[in-house]
Amino acid sequence: MKAFVFRPDKCDVCRECEVACTAACSTAPRDSARYAPFIKVYQSPQGPFLRLCKHCEDTPCVDACIGESLQRGPDGIIVQDEKRCVGCFMCNMVCPHGAIKTVMGLEKAFKCTLVCGDGDHPACVAACDRDALQFDDFSTTVKRRRTRKIQGIVKK
Amino acid sequence: MKAKAKKSIRQHVIIGNCIAAVTAANTLRELNPDDRIVIIGDEEVPSYSRCLITYYLGGMVTQNHLLSHAEKWYAARDIELHLATRAEGVDVKRRIVHARHNGRKKDIRYDTLLVATGSSPIFTKSFPYDPNGIVGMRTYADAQRLKAWARKGKKAIIIGAGFVGLKTAYGLVKRGVQVKVVELLPTVLGRMTDLEASRRVRDRLVRHELLDIELNNSVVATWRHRNAYVVRYQNGGEEQADFVVASVGVQANTSFLEGTGVQIDRIVCVDDYQRTTVEDIYAAGDVCRSRHIVTGQWIYNAIWPVAAAQGRIAAYNMSGQPQTYAGNIPMNSVDFYEMWITAIGDVQAEGDDIEEISFTSNTIYQKVKLRNGIPISFMAVGNVDGAGIIRGAIVGRTPWKEFIRKPQAQLLPVVNQIGGFLSKAVA
Ligand SMILES: Cc1cc2nc3c(=O)[nH]c(=O)nc-3n(C[C@H](O)[C@H](O)[C@H](O)COP(=O)(O)OP(=O)(O)OC[C@H]3O[C@@H](n4cnc5c(N)ncnc54)[C@H](O)[C@@H]3O)c2cc1C
Repeated sequence: MKAFVFRPDKCDVCRECEVACTAACSTAPRDSARYAPFIKVYQSPQGPFLRLCKHCEDTPCVDACIGESLQRGPDGIIVQDEKRCVGCFMCNMVCPHGAIKTVMGLEKAFKCTLVCGDGDHPACVAACDRDALQFDDFSTTVKRRRTRKIQGIVKK
Repeated sequence: MKAKAKKSIRQHVIIGNCIAAVTAANTLRELNPDDRIVIIGDEEVPSYSRCLITYYLGGMVTQNHLLSHAEKWYAARDIELHLATRAEGVDVKRRIVHARHNGRKKDIRYDTLLVATGSSPIFTKSFPYDPNGIVGMRTYADAQRLKAWARKGKKAIIIGAGFVGLKTAYGLVKRGVQVKVVELLPTVLGRMTDLEASRRVRDRLVRHELLDIELNNSVVATWRHRNAYVVRYQNGGEEQADFVVASVGVQANTSFLEGTGVQIDRIVCVDDYQRTTVEDIYAAGDVCRSRHIVTGQWIYNAIWPVAAAQGRIAAYNMSGQPQTYAGNIPMNSVDFYEMWITAIGDVQAEGDDIEEISFTSNTIYQKVKLRNGIPISFMAVGNVDGAGIIRGAIVGRTPWKEFIRKPQAQLLPVVNQIGGFLSKAVA
């Protein structure tokens, strides 16, 4: 199973990922409200942070979904049946990544369902030329995250 | 040579047929390919999402969507399904569920039993149940009935402005029904709001000409008058309507457990393994208690995600694979006319040790409560973006001072005190 890894230290908030996501994912016409990125990078005084569905291993959003709109697909990706979404935002309430967003005029929740790219290379990752965003095997990313944490502690 | 241990085939019986039951059945099947699984449900239709019935009433969800868990779902998992069958008692010694279908008795033997019978609306002497006009909103049948009554020009009185009451009002108004909601408390949405949040929700709803909400008043009597129903209020007034919906709360469906020895304190007392006090009888969902994941106290947290999780945990334990459920926190989320409301944790907490932090603008109201510097609740109206981030801090007991230094916390108006998009504000 694959997952997104974000390296805030490498991100310069150029927003190329947002542009690529918008261009690749949205099936709606360009002037419609839905034509907006699922990925969002924020600049904060504490550094950049990323709002994006991480396709978590445990799936609080799927458990909370009262419309059976969010489901874990066979490849581990959390997919969404938009038609079934009633916009209650139970998913938003339990998502630790703030990955759920709404679009004005549509009482629905939206999130990344990895419909872009060929599955292994999401558009946002391909657009990032600073390696701030990676899409990797789950176990590898967890390992890497752990190593980084340990290195951080050692450096201190 | 090791003798191949032959696992005897067991019969797992589940009473109830909503999320706790269905999640349990699904998990049981995954864990026990050979065992027999039986579901007994008293409704006419296969499982559906109960939370969607008001959306169905309002025409926001189609019948196909609501009833998509067709009988195929059970067949595909080889689950024996008894619809329109009501459990009336349990013989603990002989391990038999006494049920009734169309007036005929049915005895169903069990090795393990899961009670997932949920809860039902409360009626009182002031508004006794009457199938012709004083009803609840809990089942597909309830929704069908209200749908048939809900025509333009009709009038409804809803008793209770809680979560279900307001959702029902919202659905009825979408059908062109004139709705009056009456609530005893000074706030709508009961435990989810404070005065300010309540005012915003109420204002948003009553902007619709068909909807009126009266607070600080209650119903003392309801009776039939010709083809209509009359309600007398505590403050003396009387009002007439075509039908009345009671939504003052729910009570757990436990009557069939009488005499079994299963400990019930209004709701079924389970342990962390979802076990009741009787061997091999488990309970999950709205019928039983669960833990507050932060305080560890037993609470009644009758929400969808808790029912799903308890059903899953119960199935593991019924399969002989011990697992415990740590619980959850009270929470709920709803949207009325594109105004979102989310409440997480102990919103009503008060006392000297409680500190409040809020953010107020024309369109946004957010409030966090801290106890000893640790967030214990979050309430948001108008902008609920990233509510789950704060939920993480509540569940993880992250000190507020530490939390607000995290980049992701900056998303929340109650943290950044800006309210607009942060990136714009910083740039
Ligand atoms: C209108 C409405 C909106 C809601 N919205 C939300 C929401 O947005 N978010 C949220 O988290 N929660 C919501 N809830 C609550 C949520 O629906 C419940 O927490 C959930 O359905 C509990 O599931 P359960 O399986 O425990 O029990 P239930 O859903 O109550 O199902 C129990 C089943 O058992 C059957 N039964 C009872 N007694 C017997 C018997 N003796 N024999 C056979 N069958 C029996 C009942 O008829 C029923 O079909 C809402 C509820 C309602 C009514």
